[in-house]
Amino acid sequence: MITASLVHAPSHADTGFWSTYVFSTDHKTIGKQYLGLGVLWTVVGGLLAGGMRWQLAWPDTALPVVGEIGPEVFNMMVTMHGTIMVFFVAMPILLGAFGNFLIPLMIGARDMIFPRLNMLSVWTFTVASVVMLSSFFVPGGAASAGWTGYPPLSARPEYTGVHWGLNLWILGLALEFASFLMGGVNYLTTAIALRAPGMTFFRMPLVVWQQLVASTLFLLSVGPLIAGAVMLLLDRTLGTAFYASDLGGDPLLWQHLFWFFGHPEVYVVLLPALGFVLEVLPVFSRKPIFGYRWIIWATLVAGALSFIVWAHHMFISGMDPRLAMPFSVTTILISVPFAYIVFAMIATLWRGSISFDVPMLWALGFLTMFIVGGLTGIFNGSAPADIYINNTYFVVAHFHYTLFSAVVFGGFAGLYFWFPKMFGRMLGRPLGHLHFWLTLVFFNVTFFPQHHLGLAGMVRRVANPLQYDALVPLQWLNVLSTWGAFGLLAAQAALVANVVWSVRAGARAPGNPWDANTLEWSAASPPPHLNWGPSAPMVYRGPYDYSVPGARADWHSQDAGPGRTSALGARS
Amino acid sequence: MSTRADVQGLPAGLTGPKLAVWWFLASEIMVFGGLIASYLVFRLGGPGWAEASQHLSVTFAAVNTLVLLTSSYTVVRAFVAAERGDIGGLRINLGLTVLGGLLFLGIKALEYTTEIRAGFTPGSGIFWSFYYTMTGLHGLHVLGGVVLNVVVLVAARSSLEHVHRVELAGLYWHFVDVVWIFLFPLLYLS
Amino acid sequence: MTVGHAHPNYTAVFVWLLALLGVGLAASLVPGGRGVALVVIFATAVVKALLVVLNFMHLRFESGVIYAIALIPLVFVAILAVALFPDFVWHAAPRGAP
Repeated sequence: MITASLVHAPSHADTGFWSTYVFSTDHKTIGKQYLGLGVLWTVVGGLLAGGMRWQLAWPDTALPVVGEIGPEVFNMMVTMHGTIMVFFVAMPILLGAFGNFLIPLMIGARDMIFPRLNMLSVWTFTVASVVMLSSFFVPGGAASAGWTGYPPLSARPEYTGVHWGLNLWILGLALEFASFLMGGVNYLTTAIALRAPGMTFFRMPLVVWQQLVASTLFLLSVGPLIAGAVMLLLDRTLGTAFYASDLGGDPLLWQHLFWFFGHPEVYVVLLPALGFVLEVLPVFSRKPIFGYRWIIWATLVAGALSFIVWAHHMFISGMDPRLAMPFSVTTILISVPFAYIVFAMIATLWRGSISFDVPMLWALGFLTMFIVGGLTGIFNGSAPADIYINNTYFVVAHFHYTLFSAVVFGGFAGLYFWFPKMFGRMLGRPLGHLHFWLTLVFFNVTFFPQHHLGLAGMVRRVANPLQYDALVPLQWLNVLSTWGAFGLLAAQAALVANVVWSVRAGARAPGNPWDANTLEWSAASPPPHLNWGPSAPMVYRGPYDYSVPGARADWHSQDAGPGRTSALGARS
Repeated sequence: MSTRADVQGLPAGLTGPKLAVWWFLASEIMVFGGLIASYLVFRLGGPGWAEASQHLSVTFAAVNTLVLLTSSYTVVRAFVAAERGDIGGLRINLGLTVLGGLLFLGIKALEYTTEIRAGFTPGSGIFWSFYYTMTGLHGLHVLGGVVLNVVVLVAARSSLEHVHRVELAGLYWHFVDVVWIFLFPLLYLS
Repeated sequence: MTVGHAHPNYTAVFVWLLALLGVGLAASLVPGGRGVALVVIFATAVVKALLVVLNFMHLRFESGVIYAIALIPLVFVAILAVALFPDFVWHAAPRGAP
């Protein structure tokens, strides 16, 4: 928000500070508010990770400032790191920030269809953040039953020693769910109702498609978890019996309800990132995306399948063994549409005229790292293998390779690509390169060793690996991973420096610094309130007309009239 | 609002707000569906629940079902009145709907009091846990619907500008009614 | 506003709803034949729900998009319920008293 005030004039000169920056209904401002909140939470989540890694490398030694971390505090850190990264970093940044900023611009609309509902959603998220943050400071501390919150540990306060912390965790999550339900309804209705003339569904950029499918997945999957969370809260506060087997309940019910949501949720996080990469690759290969429609079908199929794979998270839960085979089959099946999308990305690059601008580096980083994560997913998804590796660091490595690819590599691809549009300045290239390479290297140093640790039997959520004799010779891998983590955290300084420098002294961004086709590049950088000036765009073609044989230029803006490459300057 | 001037792409007869309400209802179907599915499998899997459900008052619940069905009828009559520009009819029928909702909540409160006095609390076992949670969550939704209907009613007193909201509020109200249509046999008649 | 489509006879629908309520209640009070009674009770509930959704909520006049939005969640709820059967209905271990 301070950044915004330095680089562009207020949206409405005479509406004052509060309406422009705090209680704004402008989708671009709301997107930046989500971004700001997500960045704040990234710091918290990252520090928690740093603390966890310290404890794992040098168990029961004192950290700087905080002192020694015992097992209870470690459990809390593990829990809150996961909760924060998924719900307070990944979703607000990938879905809240980019979805809000991009969807109206990319479909040629002036704002979301429900601007006040939009403002309500970001404010609900803010309240959710306050509630979640406050859980750290109540007696008993924050939630410590894992981000998955399994009962009986989570259902009986006396088991964790955490009373209000876990109740606030449930409430904070409920508010976060409400915020993203509101947002999802807004995105879906806006994209159906407010597309500019000529913007048919199959001329919408893949970014928009991915945001819509992600919103649909969230909207349809979160219900059973809301039901389950109400049940958990009541078990904790009113002594209901839902998860208490001695009273007729069953803790396994929670796992089913949680993972019914939990699996689609990982695609809620992944799909927006896929969208950013699918947008960046054509621009920096100067080639159309390969198989646009098939990517859409693959996304829809994967989205539908995501509702019938959830029990692959439960192979060792003691659930009915007859469920193992069907869920293994569906899990293997879901790798097919994602494999198609990865092949389409590679085919897009093939024989393209590739320029290694910073957004492209991140996109390529996503592609390579996601393939690693996707491959380990096949082992995890197959019940016979998973019996052995479930709940070990092999799983931790798998989901960090996939989720980190999405949130960090995909997210930064989006950030570096759209930063000029959002803030009107160009980010510096040398710092961008430094940021990318340091992140790539340290990411692998942190997480690759965890595959080996997992296969060797190191289980998750244990504060001191040295308790196990078999792991003692492998402790060097934990130390290596921790140094990687510290490097990874430190490397982000390059981004901070870049942003600070850019908003003070960076080059002013032109309307279309990347010669890209999608509609947002026809608006000013940053776009004014209501986006388009007096006349909204007319759309004449799809988004991927790059290097069309016989065309005047190697790009062709979606809203350029006949005989023009771009509409910039053609409209005021 | 300039965002509405560019409206295109919606199928004929469908407005943005109506589409949004249906999306919201889809998410609500998942919430109650999750609860009901859980109840259903527990019920089918465990013996002895019929005993616990004997302590519920079918009479109270049957009256409540009648109340909600009637209030669904009155809210749809309110919509018909709104379409015709009949403010008086709109206010009477919406008012009756609000009263129906309040009556439902009142009867529910009476029911809960009776049951708690008899010693059946949410902690009394798995059937009662489900009973209180399902009817409680539903009751909260009824309360929300009452508030919504009151807001629409108050707005309709001054002008017909927002009268299309009667249909939207009605959609939500019918949904709440449909949930009860299933809760009634699931909890009381099985 | 959604003017432009015919209105069903709301009063007739309401009368049917009341009748179905009566039938369901009667079935629950009739002694014997528990299985048949349950079928009648739930069948009347489904029909009541359909009447409300199709007529009061105007679903029968809406486009396919709305049908999809209404139906797809029901499919997913059904999938969830079925997947819960092995663990909670056909479980081998006996459960504690309710």
